[in-house]
Amino acid sequence: MEKEYAIEFKHVSKIYNLKSKDKKNSNDKRFYALKDINFKIPKGEVVGILGTNGSGKSTLSVILAGISEIDEGQMIVNGEQALIAINTGLNQQLTGLENIELKGALLGLSKKRIQEITKGVIEFAEIGDFLYQPVKKYSSGMKSRLGFSINLCLDPDILIVDEALSVGDKGFAQKCINKMKELKRTGKTIVFISHSLPQVRDFCDTAMWIEGGMLKEYGDIKDVCDHYAEYVDYYNSLDNAGKKKERDEKFNKRIIPHVKRRGIFDKIFG
Amino acid sequence: MFKSIKYVLQENFHNLFRIYSISKYELLADMRDSKLGLFWNFAHPLIQVLTYWFAFGIVFQKKAVASYGVTIPYIFWMMGGMVVWFFISPCITNGCNAVFSKVNVITKMKFPVSILPATVVMKELFNHFCLMAILVIVFLFGGIYPSLHWFGLIYYVLCAIIFSISLSLTTSVLNMLARDTRKLVLACMRLLLYLTPILWDINQLTHMPKFVGWIMKANPIYYVVQGYRDCFFYHKGILFYSHSMIAFWIITLILFVFGSCMMYKFKHKFIDLI
Repeated sequence: MEKEYAIEFKHVSKIYNLKSKDKKNSNDKRFYALKDINFKIPKGEVVGILGTNGSGKSTLSVILAGISEIDEGQMIVNGEQALIAINTGLNQQLTGLENIELKGALLGLSKKRIQEITKGVIEFAEIGDFLYQPVKKYSSGMKSRLGFSINLCLDPDILIVDEALSVGDKGFAQKCINKMKELKRTGKTIVFISHSLPQVRDFCDTAMWIEGGMLKEYGDIKDVCDHYAEYVDYYNSLDNAGKKKERDEKFNKRIIPHVKRRGIFDKIFG
Repeated sequence: MFKSIKYVLQENFHNLFRIYSISKYELLADMRDSKLGLFWNFAHPLIQVLTYWFAFGIVFQKKAVASYGVTIPYIFWMMGGMVVWFFISPCITNGCNAVFSKVNVITKMKFPVSILPATVVMKELFNHFCLMAILVIVFLFGGIYPSLHWFGLIYYVLCAIIFSISLSLTTSVLNMLARDTRKLVLACMRLLLYLTPILWDINQLTHMPKFVGWIMKANPIYYVVQGYRDCFFYHKGILFYSHSMIAFWIITLILFVFGSCMMYKFKHKFIDLI
């Protein structure tokens, strides 16, 4: 029997325009944020996405979430996907309870569903007496817990977690991971984007390493993590000139030189 | 074209609860911001009315306005039109910023962007009802009593809502493409206030060529202002202003269609336009 895939990428590319607002050095280039990415993620798998800064992880996450469009290739997603955005949609002036309702509504939950989840959210976020206090009085850990737990109530088929756990303390991260492990057992596909190798090793089944906008490796968690760790060590061992050379090399591979600039009227009517 | 209109309408009607919640909590957050809260929703327009009344009513000694055989004291006549301006003007300025001010939301979650103009208008609608309540009380003291014709206001409020949403659909997308749009709109607001016959009577234009009056009457905002005044004072009925009515609906429809097409076209591209 053929395996069922949750997400399938076929030659996916995402291109950004590098606009220079400065008239003096205006050479407009186009830039591959992601270049020719191919992979298939089976249903129910937990994938960790690794990569150094600026290699396209966040771009990948917004594309996976269906917020941003791809420029080339094809993306097939089976099921409802959701990006976990911790601090988005929380209003500093409103109380915790009001924020649950507001963010729930922002996420598109119905009134009934919001009432159902409220109790669970309050419990998970450990807000306690702060429930009727404005969120601006919350500690940052409290805010994150509140945002995270509302997000989880969306109950999507595919969860995309982008650096979400890097905010709170260890306890918070562990709590979230435990919660996600629970979701994993119910058969949800989770894409976990993180810098923290131990978290990825602990939590994911497979891993994907993206470097310079290109897919470098996708496979078993142990191998990819080891290779990635090796690469980071190698990169850090370089001196400044070596690091710069490495960066430039990667950058030049992603650039598409010289394109005609599109005016605003081309954008509207083109 | 029809696809985009259908898309925008569907998104708006499927997300009524979302629109309601967002505008409700935005209002609440605004009120929490200040100590006096709700008080300012009333006080701000009142102070503005006093300003214009002082300038035009007292300094320039505007006379009572007589048209259609009814004479109305200037202050009441002005307030009857000014309520509309206090509703539409923030709708235009904030509507322009509707999408851009929610950038952190639309880049972080799947979100129906085309409902944002409606949330802005709904929020202002609450302020409008507050102001209407005050206005009715003032009118009662001034000897203008409610009548059956006041039900026409429901139609004109709807007109104002639909017009504001249509305009905001267009301007909010244009504002994402180029932030200059908002600057242009803000700069034009004062001009628009004086171009629309709100503080002055359109019958004063007799010394101008006739077509100037026609252009004035084709102004969608003036159609609503005129309608409000009709319901309050003149009681001519909705169909009396048929030419203005046709102009209003044509302009609104064009704005709505153009705005919907733009929304549909850019629905997934907003994140790259920041």
